[in-house]
Amino acid sequence: MAFYIARRVAAIALILLVISILIFAITQVLPGNVARMIAGQFATPDVIAAIQAKLGLNDPLVVQYWRWASRIVSGDLGQSLIMERPIGPMLRTALANSATLAAVSLVVIAIGGIGLGIIAAIRHNTALDHGISVVTFLGISVPEFFWGIVLILVFAGYLQWLPSGGAGDSATGAMSLKHLVLPAATLTFALIAHVSRMTRSSMLETLSSQYVLYARAKGLPERVVLIRHALRNALLPTITVLAIDLGLLIGGIVVVETVFSYPGLGRLLLFAIERHDLPLIQATILVVAAIYCCANLAADLLYAYFNPRIRYGRARG
Amino acid sequence: MRRVIGFALTLVAAWIGWVQPATAAGTLKVAVPSNLNTLDPAKTKIGEEYIVNFLVFSGLTEIDRDGRTKPDLAERWTASDDLKTWTFYLRKGVKFHHGRELDAQDVIATVARIQDKATGSVTRVNFELIDKMEALDNYTVRFTLKAPYAGLADLFSDRQARIVPRDRVDTLATAPSGTGPFKLKSFTPGDRVELEKNTAYFVPGVPQLDAVVLRIMPESAAQAAAIENGEVDLVWNLPLEAIEQFKKNPNIAIDSVPTSTWDGIIMNGAHKPFDDPRVRRAISLAIDKKAMVELALFGYGTPTHTMIPPGHPFYDGDLKDGPPDIATAKKLLAEAGLPNGFDVTMYTPVGRPTRERIGLAVREMLKPINVRVDIQRVPWDKFINEVEGKQAFYVDGFYSRPTIDASIYPWYHSGGSWNTTLWNYKNADMDKTLDAARAARTESEQKANYIKFQVLALQDPPGVIPYVINHMNAYRKNVKGFQSSPMMWLDLRRVTVQ
Repeated sequence: MAFYIARRVAAIALILLVISILIFAITQVLPGNVARMIAGQFATPDVIAAIQAKLGLNDPLVVQYWRWASRIVSGDLGQSLIMERPIGPMLRTALANSATLAAVSLVVIAIGGIGLGIIAAIRHNTALDHGISVVTFLGISVPEFFWGIVLILVFAGYLQWLPSGGAGDSATGAMSLKHLVLPAATLTFALIAHVSRMTRSSMLETLSSQYVLYARAKGLPERVVLIRHALRNALLPTITVLAIDLGLLIGGIVVVETVFSYPGLGRLLLFAIERHDLPLIQATILVVAAIYCCANLAADLLYAYFNPRIRYGRARG
Repeated sequence: MRRVIGFALTLVAAWIGWVQPATAAGTLKVAVPSNLNTLDPAKTKIGEEYIVNFLVFSGLTEIDRDGRTKPDLAERWTASDDLKTWTFYLRKGVKFHHGRELDAQDVIATVARIQDKATGSVTRVNFELIDKMEALDNYTVRFTLKAPYAGLADLFSDRQARIVPRDRVDTLATAPSGTGPFKLKSFTPGDRVELEKNTAYFVPGVPQLDAVVLRIMPESAAQAAAIENGEVDLVWNLPLEAIEQFKKNPNIAIDSVPTSTWDGIIMNGAHKPFDDPRVRRAISLAIDKKAMVELALFGYGTPTHTMIPPGHPFYDGDLKDGPPDIATAKKLLAEAGLPNGFDVTMYTPVGRPTRERIGLAVREMLKPINVRVDIQRVPWDKFINEVEGKQAFYVDGFYSRPTIDASIYPWYHSGGSWNTTLWNYKNADMDKTLDAARAARTESEQKANYIKFQVLALQDPPGVIPYVINHMNAYRKNVKGFQSSPMMWLDLRRVTVQ
């Protein structure tokens, strides 16, 4: 198991290196220019040249990449060109906000999705099963920003129960929990169908397998059959879906953060791209890529934990 | 003993009950749509940043609601007869937020910084005309100009020309220190800007608010919900498309003021057939400005002759401008050798909804004079690089400038920076009038020249400026003493929250 983990971690380091080169290359060919962004639409060429020289944008690309990469390795994410402040603290706050929102959403998606999937499987082809299908599909087939605005209009505008957006004051914890409800609900609604559908179908498959029949024949109580025998196997594909969902969550969070004025990673990235703030774009994408890699690693490890064949099979080869 | 404790608790409860609403009431919470890029005034470019510029910093002068220049950090100023030497006398005892007293060297450092190309300030071109600066003493600055200019005092009210402390220029973007009514408490990018009262502000008894919070909320539905449930007290610069959402609530007032921000129908005189003044005049006669306000702005704007907004003391209210005169327009086209009209492509920028709607309206309004318009929508990047200044016929737009001269001269004078990019317009009379306005010694002389300018601008139009856009704010009725500013910044010095 340790060897397996070490191999996977090494692979991730390599992937991140390649990604860092890719990000750097892509940001170089993006249309537009940060000096123009700073100087404004109507700047004359000599002003742009002066700013470019100041920012060191005239050095060869390899030099620029080396300067950037070596700083990152030493833990310095650099300075935002537009905001003229260090990226590190800004990114940390945004990441903490997004991570809280994503974690809460993912937990609700996992528990809610698996729960709904089990209920739908046990009561399959009943009104309850169809009801769950319809509701979860409604969530997945209409984009997040629509549900987000509906929730704002109803719960913040009409009923006035919850705030319409923001992350609250970091000083008071209770406030920020209140601020999480609507964005987390929006994300959950958008993604829960994946999990509930996958759980439902793999539960159905497992429930009709030989060993479940055998377990039932042995006279085990239904609860034990469901949870001990069926669920453990049925969860394998669900874990993969959850890892993919985490990727979708990172994408969906950009939209949800904008609708709910939530100061997270997605908004920061959007801001960086709009303003052509290269160091900020590079640092943010690198962090997102790292998160994605780690999520996949976590999914693989969980998978290996649930299914011993994987870890031994891979470790030998 | 128990009674004593009980009494003390009651007192505490009363104290909390009394104190809490009072502190809460002294905070004004404002929703703004975009994140701020920088807090360094010289580098600011968007309205949200200008709000902070005016709350945290002061200028040498300021512009009041009627467009007149008033003292701010400068108590008074004088100009030599040839308008080339200007002397500004600073208020004494004004303190920056970090405690040091403002002096003449700060003013000089501020201007030098704006003039430096590496700063990249958008107002740099305006300050290029300053040749020499010297501090006559701690509170007196003398500027020597390259050419006579009557509007120097007005320029010092500009959004980027806020006076900054020379010992803190490197930290302006993150920890600005100014002389304004509020000081920065914190800025969380993407979330909020928190400001608190500057108790040492140089006007006694001002400001009345204890704190101001700017909440960054990009989504207008979220803004509407937030003002409805009291999360914010004021929504700044309502998008035209969303005003109806705010109108329903009886607890919310909407305040509207014409700005000098305008959209324009650009006809490039370097291209046929717009090199013929008769063609340009014909097109301008066919445009229904009143209808344009309805179509492009849903009514939230004001028809105008030029960028001088109606309501400004220099606006010519007697000038006839509309309704459309199709017969004369057709006659002019025939005289220009185009009796059957012509085909033309008009470019509009995607993502600038008012300008896109102008494009559609122009197409319909020009049909009666047989000018057939084909509309091409182009992305903003492409618009800047390939359309602006290069194509013959397109819709563009510009934000208010701080002074009448800075709003007009670059667009209408044959040597103006914008004219040479946009419409390549030459009219000797116009040049003479605008130069005379620049050198005018009195307000009435200035006004006479700007009235003449407006007449000329309609007689021989380089393009059409159909309207100026209104700036609108929504606020809860417990906010007292608030008035929207034509410059779109928030003057909160005398505002209170009840």
